[in-house]
Amino acid sequence: MKIITIALKDLWRAFRSFFALAFMFGVPILMTAMFAFLFGGIGGEDSEFNLPSTEVFVVNHDEGSSLVANFEAQGNTFAKMSDMLLDTLQQDSFQDLLTLTKTSEREARSAVEAQEADMAMIIPENYTNALIGQSQGPSQIEFYQNAESDIGTEIVQSVVMSLVDSFSSGVIIQDSVTSIMENHNINLSQAEQISLISGFSSELESNQTETQNNVNVIQPAESPVENDQGDPLQTILRSIMAGMMIFYAFFTGTSAAQTILQEQENGTLARLFISPTSTATILNGKFLAGFLMIIVQVATLLIFANLVFGIQWGPIVPLVFAAISLVALATSFGIFVMSLVKGTKQAGIIYGGVLTFTGMLGISSVFVMGTPIEEAFNYLPLFVPQGWAMNAFKASWQGNWQRVLIHASGMILLAVIFFAIGNARFKKRFS
Amino acid sequence: MNSEAIKVQNLDKSFKDIHAVNDISFEIHQGEIFSLLGPNGAGKTTTIGMISGLLTPDQGQVWVMGNSVLENPRQAKAQIGVVPQEIALYTDISARANLNFWGKMYGLRGQTLVERVDSVLSLIGLEDRKDQVVSKFSGGMQRRLNVGIALLHQPQVIIMDEPTVGIDPQSRRKILDSVKQLRDQGVTILYTTHYMEEAQELSDRIAIMDYGKIIALGSHEELIDIVGELDRITLTIKGETQSVLSAWEEIDGVEKVTPEDGRIYLFVKDSNDSLPAIFDTAGQKNIRITTVDIQEPNLEAVFLHLTGRALRD
Repeated sequence: MKIITIALKDLWRAFRSFFALAFMFGVPILMTAMFAFLFGGIGGEDSEFNLPSTEVFVVNHDEGSSLVANFEAQGNTFAKMSDMLLDTLQQDSFQDLLTLTKTSEREARSAVEAQEADMAMIIPENYTNALIGQSQGPSQIEFYQNAESDIGTEIVQSVVMSLVDSFSSGVIIQDSVTSIMENHNINLSQAEQISLISGFSSELESNQTETQNNVNVIQPAESPVENDQGDPLQTILRSIMAGMMIFYAFFTGTSAAQTILQEQENGTLARLFISPTSTATILNGKFLAGFLMIIVQVATLLIFANLVFGIQWGPIVPLVFAAISLVALATSFGIFVMSLVKGTKQAGIIYGGVLTFTGMLGISSVFVMGTPIEEAFNYLPLFVPQGWAMNAFKASWQGNWQRVLIHASGMILLAVIFFAIGNARFKKRFS
Repeated sequence: MNSEAIKVQNLDKSFKDIHAVNDISFEIHQGEIFSLLGPNGAGKTTTIGMISGLLTPDQGQVWVMGNSVLENPRQAKAQIGVVPQEIALYTDISARANLNFWGKMYGLRGQTLVERVDSVLSLIGLEDRKDQVVSKFSGGMQRRLNVGIALLHQPQVIIMDEPTVGIDPQSRRKILDSVKQLRDQGVTILYTTHYMEEAQELSDRIAIMDYGKIIALGSHEELIDIVGELDRITLTIKGETQSVLSAWEEIDGVEKVTPEDGRIYLFVKDSNDSLPAIFDTAGQKNIRITTVDIQEPNLEAVFLHLTGRALRD
């Protein structure tokens, strides 16, 4: 009972403090809002974010294939694979994301240099032949853009690469199927092989669109993975919000543990020790306060982000796992770091140094999204507790149960270790 | 042990190379005000820390209302209300919120808690300010609340560690009056101070501490008897000191001469008789007396007599 009394007193004091509230709720929300405005602002209906449309000038040098007259997808017929690609990019799902303008190469490059277009997409002559396996030479779509590319051009690049990859997979499948058939002494003519590729590519393209259509029709808002495909900004804002929440949850944990030192310095801790209350009860009450504070913080930020920024956090159960693990880890990490310092004067080093460094490293994957080093930042942040939390949340909204459990277990283990060390140090200090 | 509210036996405590409390023993009877008097650093607060269970003694034992502080700390602590030397309050919440919290820490709940909080607010004169944040209070008001918290659970023993340091005369008087009021209600009070007048006014018995030891213990009258009925004359002089000191010791009626910190203390049987001779001797030795202060026997004189030092900060 006294544990709860102590915890509620600390909660009451924290929620009366402007600075505590600002750090717990204000700063994470402000940071996310700032990024939201940077990426297009809040202003759409139902508070959704809108990226400014990316102006793409298309130069199509593709000569098609002499071996295949038509490619079919979704009931449409295309003379070249590049036409199939451009048709896909002009579908409704990409309407808000990009605007395509077909033009000559010279005009396209000039427009980019004059900043009249965001990027030029130049499709090579042998694009169709390369995709159906009839060209040995290189076939790469060239993106011509200014050095200071924005998030819109990055997203367009990713979308195009994804579509081209799906078309290319037809060639890979054809190779595999042909190889298997040859092993069984079944030989296909060149025309039959090309027909096979065409069929695979068309089917892949068709299936991809159908999958999107199906999800959009059935539950467009409740499937996080599919939602990412529909709204790429979700990934960015969700990652930023999660990063800010994790970063400041650790500040809250440390700030809550710092009240032990503050009370030691202003004499109230000694007064608690001379009341008929055990040292364990007093310390556990303080720890519970930190735990409750972060629960309130994390729950508020998750709900607020959903209601105001429209962020979808994914399936609820893995989210709860990730959130509770974060609360436990942030609380115990605070106890641990504060047990290492002697007084509140040294706490500045903790906030300015340890928490800022570990926090930035832990959520660094947010800032390298879509860059070549993104892969490395899936593992590097695991050197700090915040990195485990970030990965747990990512796995949570991807619906990857296995990764959520792995990271949540790691976080709980770290929490137990930090708590055990911090608790032992504090008990020794006050014995 | 029934008549003893507090029993201290061979208590000893050191901090690294500082021997803060050196093998002290005393008893405090139920219903009495017992003062620990001594200069800063004498060991008063360390002694109180061990009695209240905040510090663990290196040696010795303490009992509060028959409960060993070392063996049954929760039972012993429940009998004690402690007023710490420094103000120990949550200044960012109201006076009432502070009292509610501390009441709960001493096991008060429900209607009992409400009644005790109201009663204490009335006793310390903060009823009108009960919902104000403590940081807005004056130093004196904070001191009164600091005292009030110790009274909430109606303890049988109250320990007050220099509760009047640095406060206005009005708040000081209120605290001293409340101490007497508590004694009249049968509460035992252990009071530490380095203000001689407070110890003199309040105490049934006084223990004088210096360098971790109790150097004298008794009632006010018993302690005064140590120095006899001597008046104390304090002089500030200009000139060569040594020769005049021995000359003053020769004067009839002068019992003792002690120089300290630029002042000379003379203990005399009757200051009216001795003063003319003291001035004459100073004149003969070309010594100029710049200030004179005469005091009848008091605790400060006792301390000076026992230690050769004045009882000051």
